[in-house]
Amino acid sequence: MRAIKGVLLQCDPAVKQILLAMNEKQSFIIEELDDYHLVIKADEEYRIRRELEAELEKNTYSLEGS
Amino acid sequence: MPAAVVPDLNTSLPTQHTLIPFLQSQSQNTLTRLYQKPSSCLAIFRLLAPLERQLVMNLLWLESAIPVATMAAWVARDGKKLYDAAVVNLGNLHILPSSMVKLALNSTFKTSFRHAITGGGTSGSFGVPVEKDDKRPALDLGALDSYALERWETILHYMVSSGSGQYPSKPSQGVLYLLQRSGLMANIHGALQITSFGFQFLLNSPHEQLWNLLLQYLHMAEERQMDLVEVLSFLFMLSTMELGREYSTEHLSETQKAMLEDLRDYGLIWQRKPNSRRFNPTRLATTLTSSSPPLPTSTTTSSGPAEGFIILETNYRLYAYTDNPLQTAVLNLFVTLKYRFPNLVVGTITRDSVKKALQSGISSDQIISYLSTHAHPQMRKNNPLLPVTVQDQIRLWELEKNRLKSQEGYLYTAFASQADYELVLNYAKQLNTVLWENTAKRCFFGSLDGHANIRGFIERRTGATG
Amino acid sequence: MSSARPAQAVATDKPSHLSVIVDLSPSQWHLSSQPPPANTFPLTLNSFLSQLLAFLNSHIASKHENTLAVFGAFPGKSLMLYASTESETINPSAVDANSYPPFKMLDSTIIKRIENELDQLDTEEGIPVALVGALTKALCYINRISHFSAANVSKAKLPDSLTISDPHILILSVSPDLSAEYIPIMNSIFSAQKLRVTIDVCKIYGTETVFLQQAAHLTGGSYISLERRDALLQYLTMAFLSPPSIRKALSVPTQDKIDFRAACFCHKKIIDIGFVCSVCLSIFCQPVPVCSTCRTKFPIKILQRLNASRPPPTPLRNGLSRTTSMSGTGGLPHSGSIRTSSSNGTLR
Repeated sequence: MRAIKGVLLQCDPAVKQILLAMNEKQSFIIEELDDYHLVIKADEEYRIRRELEAELEKNTYSLEGS
Repeated sequence: MPAAVVPDLNTSLPTQHTLIPFLQSQSQNTLTRLYQKPSSCLAIFRLLAPLERQLVMNLLWLESAIPVATMAAWVARDGKKLYDAAVVNLGNLHILPSSMVKLALNSTFKTSFRHAITGGGTSGSFGVPVEKDDKRPALDLGALDSYALERWETILHYMVSSGSGQYPSKPSQGVLYLLQRSGLMANIHGALQITSFGFQFLLNSPHEQLWNLLLQYLHMAEERQMDLVEVLSFLFMLSTMELGREYSTEHLSETQKAMLEDLRDYGLIWQRKPNSRRFNPTRLATTLTSSSPPLPTSTTTSSGPAEGFIILETNYRLYAYTDNPLQTAVLNLFVTLKYRFPNLVVGTITRDSVKKALQSGISSDQIISYLSTHAHPQMRKNNPLLPVTVQDQIRLWELEKNRLKSQEGYLYTAFASQADYELVLNYAKQLNTVLWENTAKRCFFGSLDGHANIRGFIERRTGATG
Repeated sequence: MSSARPAQAVATDKPSHLSVIVDLSPSQWHLSSQPPPANTFPLTLNSFLSQLLAFLNSHIASKHENTLAVFGAFPGKSLMLYASTESETINPSAVDANSYPPFKMLDSTIIKRIENELDQLDTEEGIPVALVGALTKALCYINRISHFSAANVSKAKLPDSLTISDPHILILSVSPDLSAEYIPIMNSIFSAQKLRVTIDVCKIYGTETVFLQQAAHLTGGSYISLERRDALLQYLTMAFLSPPSIRKALSVPTQDKIDFRAACFCHKKIIDIGFVCSVCLSIFCQPVPVCSTCRTKFPIKILQRLNASRPPPTPLRNGLSRTTSMSGTGGLPHSGSIRTSSSNGTLR
């Protein structure tokens, strides 16, 4: 049996898919657990959060300048 | 901390004053020394709940103790819970030593309070007044009020602008130290920034804010080797003083004289010069134990700090009828301000402005309750007060931040058999460290702190089985 | 730290207003201060006043915003002795470090005014005290300040926690009833009911006053006849200090038996059987052809027939006419029959 150190991520399925897509470019996922959970490398967490936020920002529309 | 229970006539308990739990945590000795001064007794009496006050008055003029049953006979059935709570509270304050048999007031409290009511005793605890000095006249009431307001708003404004120095003056070092110690501001990246606690503080009424700061001051006093009884009795003496009258500093103890500087900084007293031998209490001081507004409502067309001035529309537009720079700065924390007029500030609640606020630790609940508390009287025609769409959206923006939750730990996988897996899993469950499990895949995720125990457990097992 | 609901912290602790009406009939006080065997517990005016001042100080001590007004009923006139809304600033020499300035000012103002009035009194005996005048003035004062505070709240100048709620009036009486006062007292009672003012009565000396009993009963206050006059302060504190909102929890003694006799409108005699106009409910002791209040005409023959068939008055007990009290057992309520209300509820 093995014990692997990592970070457990809990999210909704949409975010998980985004993370899987990000993983294609630069792998950081250790294991996919189920639709809501992932285990990733511990030191990558901060970078992942920032990239995820940037990705989600692309989806939002704000009424600036009015 | 006051009990967060909504007062509901007879059935539930009324909220307590912020100072009461602090007093209840002091020793009997300290409290008895405090009760030697009539002005302290009077001030504490005013902070009590109505039923507690009535109980104290009932027992005040009696010479001997009365049986518990006699007093209990006066209680109506509806009031039993209130009565019991009142007796417990008074017991914790050592005003009414608890007893199953007889009820009698603490004798020191009784004597001093009788002196307070009838006037007498020799403690001089109501403050020694001095004659007006025509050569060096003191400020009149209006100037005193504006002095207190200016001092107080300097502190609040510093908190809101997070030390960026937009407001002309800065509070003194002592005040800054107090703000930091009390958790209202924190040293982030080298500068003092307001915390989530601090924003909640800004929400409260001036009375609550004042008492919160004083409570912090009292906590700090213990560390600074100041005699707590002296500090408290000076504060209580201030609360019984008369506005517009000068008092002498000659009869104050050393501790109390040291407090003068701090009290000047908070706007509680005014002195002509730092070493002056007389001082004037301001309205902030004289209304310490009452619920009248401690700060004057401003004379401009805008309303004072305690009333509503915000109008919020369903299109997220916000109109604030104020010209007070402090209130504008508070709004700037979570609203994108667009226009400023002499009596009106217009802005919009946008995703960016709310996210900025959320990042500095302010929660969506705090924003919503600030808006409700300061809603313009005209808004009260709406039911609910704030538009539901705006409230929901602010909460949703907060939830956006929390889409991804993370926890550090270890993934335990590749177990030899189902039995092995279940054994280790049960052990981990007993330690409450399991964050995720999957029986089909035979793996589970445990938290970081449990790892050492689990590893030890497994090693013992494998060691035992060879 | 503190709750985010500051406004509710004072919801149950509103300031209260107390108006005290002091009966200062020199003749009655003289009688009250006679040593035994005339009185078991003599009470001099000085001793009474010092206990009263302690009681008034306790009221102001309870809350910074509590308001107080004191009215004095002297023979032939009544005047306001003190009002906290119209207090003058005291001179510095009167303030000392051992007393709370508002107490000192309150005490000295009242004593000075009472002394002035008593000095100016004529020695003419027999003029009754203007108790009703004082009561009316108190009601007008309460009306004025209630309107003032209500107007300020609606203009948002005053926070809601500072509105006057539960105003109550305390009457300290030593004189007997005046049947001429029946109508004015009943009118005052009705105004008090409208203003939601509670009237409490403390009978310190003298015979029982039926009108004041009715006043206390109808406005939800309590009527207490002192047995132990030396314990006046304790009676005042326990029974009358608490605002009506607290009285729901810590009950206050009220009467079980109330004397509901009225005075007739024509001769001002106290009667228990009489004629009542069916239109305006005025009371007459003998049949009249026309009601004096509403000018309704009555058929006089029928009235005379009724008068003839009126039962003769029954033999009197205690030298007084038969009463029509609520419990129907007759006899004026003796002070010994006043019991504390049991938890089954009071008889109101």
